[in-house]
Amino acid sequence: MHGSGAEISREVFWNILGPGFPTAQVVLYFIVAGALLMLFRGLVTNGFFTRLKAIWAAQGSESDRLDKPGERFWHAVWDVFLQKKILREPYQGTFHFLILWGFIALTITTAVVFLQADVIWPIWHWWFMKDGFYLGLSLFADVFGFLAIIGILMALYRRYVIKPVWLDEKPEDKTILWFILAILVTGFIVEGLRIQATEANPASPMHPYIWTSPIGRIAGLAFSWMNESGLRSLHMLLWWTHVIGAAVFFVYIAYSKLMHIFLTPVNIFLRNTSDNPAPIRFMPPEMFENAETFGIHKLEEYSWKDLYDSEACVRCGRCVEVCPAFNTDKPLKPRDVIQDIRNYMETKAKFAMDVDGNYRILADEEYTGPALIGDTIDKHTIWACTTCMACVEACPCYITQFPKLIDLRRYMVMMESDFPAEVLDVFKGMENNSNPWSIGAHVRADWAKGHNIPLMSEKGGAEYLFYVGCAGSFDDLNKKVALSIAKLLQLAGVDFAILGTEEGCCGDSAKKIGNEYIYQALAMANIETFKAYGVKQIITMCPHGYNTLKYDYKELGGDFEVFHYTEILDTLIKSGKITLKEPVADLGTMTYHDSCYLGRYNKVYDQPRNILKALNSGAVVEMASNHAKSFCCGAGGGRMWMEEDLGTRINQKRTKEAEAAGAKTVCTACPFCFTMLSDGIKELELSEKLQAFDIAQLVAKAAGIDLKASEGDQEAAG
Amino acid sequence: MNTVVCIKQVPDTETLIKIQGAGIVQDGIKWVMNPYDEFAVEEALKKKEELKAGEVTVVSLGPDRAVEAIRTALAMGADTAIHIADAAYAEKADPFATAAALAAAIKGSGKAYDAIFMGKQAIDDDSAQVPVMVAEMLGIPSITMVIKFDVAADKSKATVTREVEGGVAVVEVPLPAVFSAQKGLNEPRYASLPGIMKAKKKPVDVKTAAALGVSDGPKTVVKEMTLPPAREAGKKIAGDDAAAKAKELARILHEDVKIV
Repeated sequence: MHGSGAEISREVFWNILGPGFPTAQVVLYFIVAGALLMLFRGLVTNGFFTRLKAIWAAQGSESDRLDKPGERFWHAVWDVFLQKKILREPYQGTFHFLILWGFIALTITTAVVFLQADVIWPIWHWWFMKDGFYLGLSLFADVFGFLAIIGILMALYRRYVIKPVWLDEKPEDKTILWFILAILVTGFIVEGLRIQATEANPASPMHPYIWTSPIGRIAGLAFSWMNESGLRSLHMLLWWTHVIGAAVFFVYIAYSKLMHIFLTPVNIFLRNTSDNPAPIRFMPPEMFENAETFGIHKLEEYSWKDLYDSEACVRCGRCVEVCPAFNTDKPLKPRDVIQDIRNYMETKAKFAMDVDGNYRILADEEYTGPALIGDTIDKHTIWACTTCMACVEACPCYITQFPKLIDLRRYMVMMESDFPAEVLDVFKGMENNSNPWSIGAHVRADWAKGHNIPLMSEKGGAEYLFYVGCAGSFDDLNKKVALSIAKLLQLAGVDFAILGTEEGCCGDSAKKIGNEYIYQALAMANIETFKAYGVKQIITMCPHGYNTLKYDYKELGGDFEVFHYTEILDTLIKSGKITLKEPVADLGTMTYHDSCYLGRYNKVYDQPRNILKALNSGAVVEMASNHAKSFCCGAGGGRMWMEEDLGTRINQKRTKEAEAAGAKTVCTACPFCFTMLSDGIKELELSEKLQAFDIAQLVAKAAGIDLKASEGDQEAAG
Repeated sequence: MNTVVCIKQVPDTETLIKIQGAGIVQDGIKWVMNPYDEFAVEEALKKKEELKAGEVTVVSLGPDRAVEAIRTALAMGADTAIHIADAAYAEKADPFATAAALAAAIKGSGKAYDAIFMGKQAIDDDSAQVPVMVAEMLGIPSITMVIKFDVAADKSKATVTREVEGGVAVVEVPLPAVFSAQKGLNEPRYASLPGIMKAKKKPVDVKTAAALGVSDGPKTVVKEMTLPPAREAGKKIAGDDAAAKAKELARILHEDVKIV
């Protein structure tokens, strides 16, 4: 063995290998081989291969997850090594970063030592691990090992002291941390003992460089009272402890969430790369002619990627932390949905696999185990989701949580007619009058009467279609917003028109409640009308319509350039086409509530804020949760139309947040948000302190627009 | 239990109604199944499911478009349908003529039935006469305003709860009989998508009034129809003195609108 102690390096297996036959080295190989076998065994006994069979058997349609492989690969590499998404949460992000890089650095170091001692030296008798390279390597390992210890301590502090409510607790969570800590600490002590017994001797050529292993050196000093034989005995004991510990840890990967080391990067590679940040499974229109079942009620109807998502989940709970349903005591934790699907794969496999391990998809009549809907994922959980996308946005593992619930809603609604009773009128309203309010379709454009708002049917065409949507057309509160927008567009000289009574419901609520059948009927009617007028560009008032027209209509052949009105107003103000004559009185401190469908879904964060600043009517402050972490108003996903009888009210929580931010005015850019926050203010009796406005109303005021009818035609609505 | 359900297609309650002569303008109207008839369909389906046997037959008088309401009932789960697709007859039909056509269709179908369900009234003409007239024409009893329906195991009689002024009455009646459904009888189901698809293939027997041998015309003729007067704009009593404003309100109530 190399390592006479005559150069700047170290003797690998110092104190471990005896003279003659290198017994320990052989033992080491056996340990490593054994660990590999145990790892494989772990994968078998823990159901990993069983779950892979379920994933393999999954039949649901899936988008192409291997397109643009280069872009996917580099994105995954950057995200894994720079921990970009993980670092969005500074505390968790930091400790994970430290642990990851400790793991990487020590793996590299161990690999270099292995190459030197077990490959290159025995074959070529060449020793490269010396001088500057050795000293650098030594320092590298020490520094990253030490940082990893700090990371572990931070993680332990969170598990034992901070204990966030959204964090779940399994024995493995703490075990892993203590385990890694033990390996790191024994590693440093082993190094320290060796240094104390060898390099601490001033005669050693390494002596001048003793501090290139700073942590090891400090650890060694703690044993300076020991004599050499004591150091050697303890070293040998701890060396084996460290090595066997590392081997056991390696095996433990297969038995624990540590599998994420391998599985999660794959999921990042397979991430959704479409423009739509949270696509819901596409149902081709012809399905409604020939399919026999709709939505998902059994595991294998999910796609392979849906099921693989649950393999990538580390239970970190970021999705739970931001979930409006969880935060108002409703029975939905996105993480648990994903974990329940993971566990259900094994449950289902017990029924689906024969003795030879073949996975067969069972017909409903053959299957007697627990159902996916109800038994595995509670119906209240399924209905609690507001589709706010906070879970998808927060997930560092690139899992799409809530769309899996929409699949279940689709089955419940379209196959079983199983939905909250109050939704029945919403469906009927959409079917009969093309709006969820169930108000006669003929009054859709009554808000515009007497204001000379141009109609497509009169004008024949226009540069922009102003798609008002149902809220702006039927809801008294939001009609004022629609009128404000239309008048602002007129003022700025924009060439636009509305569809009037030819406009139909965009279908967002139907889609998110799970009634794809109604959604597609509504969408296709709109697309046909848009095309008939040669519409290319659309301005929407409602972010739900915005998102639906922009992404979902594309799937049905409606390709339009869609804007939200805040994008348009921001541009018009900047270009001077809209002049804000004077500040709006009595707004006080303002705060902006990000609509989920505008912010997280479409990254329209700046335009509404730009407009608020341009109003020059008061300070603009942020609420505790804003931008990508904004908190839902509670109305998305069709929840607008459902009773909120579980837990506390989401809109009230958000209203309180606005109050806590010190705002006197909370501004919205979404009719649902506007309604929910206005209601929140009334319910909490905060009218004295807080008021809600849609941004368009404020711009109209500042621009000096009078919303009263501009001509005699004042025919009453309805 | 075999049942017959008579349904009517009516304008959606929210749709815009315009008067033309003694009728309404039919263009642009969104047509739906009469909401009370939905209770009737639901009750028939529930009984069929409860007893795990029987057939639900839907009968409707109306122009071609009425088949949409029939398909809705079929989508909910009804088995077969008879459509008296006779626009000319339906146009002029009063409650008597309607009942005559329905009774003839039920008789003519030769179907055995234990009960006939209908909505207590159609929400368009509000006559509420058809259920009792059909019963009379078929020579069987009728019970109106039913809010609970139970049938004996041997299907010989039914025990029903009906709404009466200020309370309820429980009535026993031998079957077959006609029952008119009041709100509260049940919660009509929302047709599932497979139901909608299956409904497209279910048989609808199309008949004309003449083919059913109904010759008696309507006994009544609508001479005129008017919309309720438009609601007038509210009046605001201006001023700062509450007492004076109250006085003015009292004066208006006494003298102008004369309701006090």
